[in-house]
Amino acid sequence: MKKISRRLFVEGTGAGIVAVAIPLEGQAQSAPAAPTTASNAPKTTIKLTINGQQRSMEVEDRWTLVEVLRDHLQLTGTKIGCDRGECGACTVLVNGKAVYSCSQLAVWMDGRTVQTIEGLAQGTKLDPLQTAFIEHDAPQCGYCTSGQLMAAKALLNSNPKPTREEVRAGMTGNLCRCSNYNHYVEAVMAAAGTLKSGGAA
Amino acid sequence: MNPLNSVGHREPRVDALLRVTGKAEYTGDVKLPGMLYARLLRSPHPHARIKSIDISKAQALPGVRAILTKDNCDTVWSSGDSLGQRKLFNNPLRFTGEAVAAIAAVNRHVAEEAMSLIQVDYEVLPFVLDVDKAMEEGAPEIHPGGNLSPNNQRRREPQTYTRGNAAKGFTEADRVFESSFTSSHHNNAQLELRTSLAYWEGSKLTVYASTQGIVNCQRDIAKDLKLQEADVRVICHYMGGGFGNKNQSHDFDLFAALLAKEAKAPVKVEFTRKEDFVAVHGRWSSKQQYKIGVKNDGTLTAIQMVAKTGSGAYRKSSCDLSGTEIYQVPNLETSTTPIYTNTAVAANYRAPAYPQGVFGIESAIDDVAYALKIDPLEFRLKNMTRKFRDQTPYTSFGLEDCLRKGADSFGWKQRWKPVAGSGAGPLKRGAGMAMGMFGSALGRSSAVAKVDAKGNYSIHVGVTDCGTAAKTTMGLIAAEELGVPLNKVNVVWGDTDTCPYSVGESGSRTTVQTGDAVIQAVKDLKKKISEQGMPKGTDEVMVMVTTNPAQIQGASRQSFVAHFAEVEVNVETGNVKVTKFTAAHDSGRVVNPLTAESQVQGGSIQGIGMALHEELRYDQRSGQPLNAGYYGARIMTHMDAPQVDVLWVETEDPYGPFGAKTLGEPTIIPTVAAVANAIYNAIGVRMHDLPMTRERVLAALQGVKA
Ligand code: FES
Ligand code: FES
Repeated sequence: MKKISRRLFVEGTGAGIVAVAIPLEGQAQSAPAAPTTASNAPKTTIKLTINGQQRSMEVEDRWTLVEVLRDHLQLTGTKIGCDRGECGACTVLVNGKAVYSCSQLAVWMDGRTVQTIEGLAQGTKLDPLQTAFIEHDAPQCGYCTSGQLMAAKALLNSNPKPTREEVRAGMTGNLCRCSNYNHYVEAVMAAAGTLKSGGAA
Repeated sequence: MNPLNSVGHREPRVDALLRVTGKAEYTGDVKLPGMLYARLLRSPHPHARIKSIDISKAQALPGVRAILTKDNCDTVWSSGDSLGQRKLFNNPLRFTGEAVAAIAAVNRHVAEEAMSLIQVDYEVLPFVLDVDKAMEEGAPEIHPGGNLSPNNQRRREPQTYTRGNAAKGFTEADRVFESSFTSSHHNNAQLELRTSLAYWEGSKLTVYASTQGIVNCQRDIAKDLKLQEADVRVICHYMGGGFGNKNQSHDFDLFAALLAKEAKAPVKVEFTRKEDFVAVHGRWSSKQQYKIGVKNDGTLTAIQMVAKTGSGAYRKSSCDLSGTEIYQVPNLETSTTPIYTNTAVAANYRAPAYPQGVFGIESAIDDVAYALKIDPLEFRLKNMTRKFRDQTPYTSFGLEDCLRKGADSFGWKQRWKPVAGSGAGPLKRGAGMAMGMFGSALGRSSAVAKVDAKGNYSIHVGVTDCGTAAKTTMGLIAAEELGVPLNKVNVVWGDTDTCPYSVGESGSRTTVQTGDAVIQAVKDLKKKISEQGMPKGTDEVMVMVTTNPAQIQGASRQSFVAHFAEVEVNVETGNVKVTKFTAAHDSGRVVNPLTAESQVQGGSIQGIGMALHEELRYDQRSGQPLNAGYYGARIMTHMDAPQVDVLWVETEDPYGPFGAKTLGEPTIIPTVAAVANAIYNAIGVRMHDLPMTRERVLAALQGVKA
């Protein structure tokens, strides 16, 4: 695996609030000396497991994990809401832990196990979280839903019987602009079997 | 209210399985063979004239397939402003982030690199960010003719409403109160990034759009590209939220179509999150002044509201303010003046003119009630509207029940403090409430109904379902009218080739307007079946209807709402936490209480974010947006969101599908004001400016005592 500084990468994503005014990205007036085109971009071959399937693939070093999933493996269930680590729409599990796949380079996935929304159900058998999400109307527009599900999965992996507060804390990195937070929390509690009757408003 | 078989029951969405398995296909998920990716180069200046653009280096970059700038594209984007003068590429550039060039390339990395190779020579112009400064003598002129934005009749004068005589009303008052309030531009911030994918087959254009209204989008694209509507197909099966920021065609649809034509390949335009914040639109800001005349017994004699609203660099929507209509008052004068500034464009966001206007009037009224030592709930019960504009009766009226039942359920008597700020610190609690209403008119829509030999029904409707559960709502209405279970009805949606006209998911009109068309289609289908019998073999029986009901004469159809909030204010940090929230809604008969509950909870929580956090801020010296993104906008998170208790006040309304009225937008209308009034009750200091951030709460507290 090539050495790519995470700090440089994160700075390059332009995340966060700017303390002083800077122009929009892509406004630099001085061009890079030698543009990197699709053909000469540095590449690395990685081996990883995605949704139980082992794969070996050549990735450009600048590709993010979500880019590989969506553009090169057609796993479009994982969404991009910001591409800079602010929203959680891109949440997947890497070695069982929830991560923002927009903020991980694909080359870092060498030797790792990735689980996406497409790998959550066992064949046609839905995960209890998915069933609960349907029954409690957790998705409104549904755009944050894959991320919410994967965050909830990671939470229940480490804490199978969470309290309402623990669910909220565990999923707070997953924004929902439809703001269906009440139903998301209820659904996770129901899937964990800890929803008290009358919990629904 | 008589119970029904399908309507009125908690039904999961018909497409829920696809939404929880990642299989729902959103616009950005569509990939076509040979598809190119496009990026936009945008103005780094709030106001500048382009002297020249040199694209030669970018063109020479391997993999670049098409570049559009003002030099080779003068297409008008007619829904970009209400005057029809905004082009895709304008010169001068009027806000930081306005489009300068669009580039299509083999992948997005190449497109981004090409952006950095375009050389633009700008003449930087003076700029103005504030609506008051924009109206001063000698302010930079953003459009020819000045910064007062022309109204709907293209006249440069305020939008006004008058009944009675306010001056006379003030002389009849025992007391007259004056106060002023401001609200900020904040973003729709739907989670889906704005994107569009277009391709051509000869003269026929197909656009995978991300839109709340496929038919409106089709109409606008055809108009701007000078095509026949039949030659434009718009597809949108899933949309990751909109909240009003796309019920027309948008510039990204036109960029995609024009780049695709130039490059002779499908092109997908993608906006970044930052572009979504600065270059799409958000809710207009406002500066509002109120004068309220009242008798000592609490009877209103006159209300006057004078406001300026911030339209941003173009006028894309009404920029009006609503709120005063919820009071019965013989003398009312309102005047709203939209003004151009060199900032992001303002337009529709969930109940566009309401939550900021209601924040103003409901805060001002709250002050009056406290000054007269009248419980704010009682004050509203005494003065609430009873007829539309004090003249026209309502088709159904649940406002009083929203107030009374909402207050009971919330525990108003226990939670509201007769003396504001009287709680013990440092965590002070208080309760506030506010009310609102929203039109629920009838209108034109179409639907197709079909049945096959096996008795499977299909309903074709031109809806998108941007999160509202419109498909499920239409399915339930059809199932009810057919007398079959929901799973016997297949809803076809989201494609102008297979679906007829619908108004689009804006103005909260789909349930009522398209719902009425579905009922009529089903009635006609049943009639046809009774005449011809059920189809045989592979035949189908099909009907298509367009309903265009006359507007109701002599009555006004409105939804009503009252929200109740309890907050806990930390007087040491200024932090505000909503500890209890009750939303009481009269939306007539509720078609699907499960998904309707999602709407109310979601709208209320969005409103709390608007009340406490959200604002697109600019650096005053450079004109640069400072917090264009989720992190800086501080939209509500799981940790911020309180439980929202939903209470239905189901009035019987003689119109609409089974008596259903509007719902989606009323959910945010009184939220901000309820939170503001709760903060006042907790700390005894009135907040005049949105958002009510920690800094502002602390500053307000320091004005009284530490
Ligand atoms: S897309 Fe990765 S955090 Fe938003
Ligand atoms: S369901 Fe729309 S963003 Fe969460």
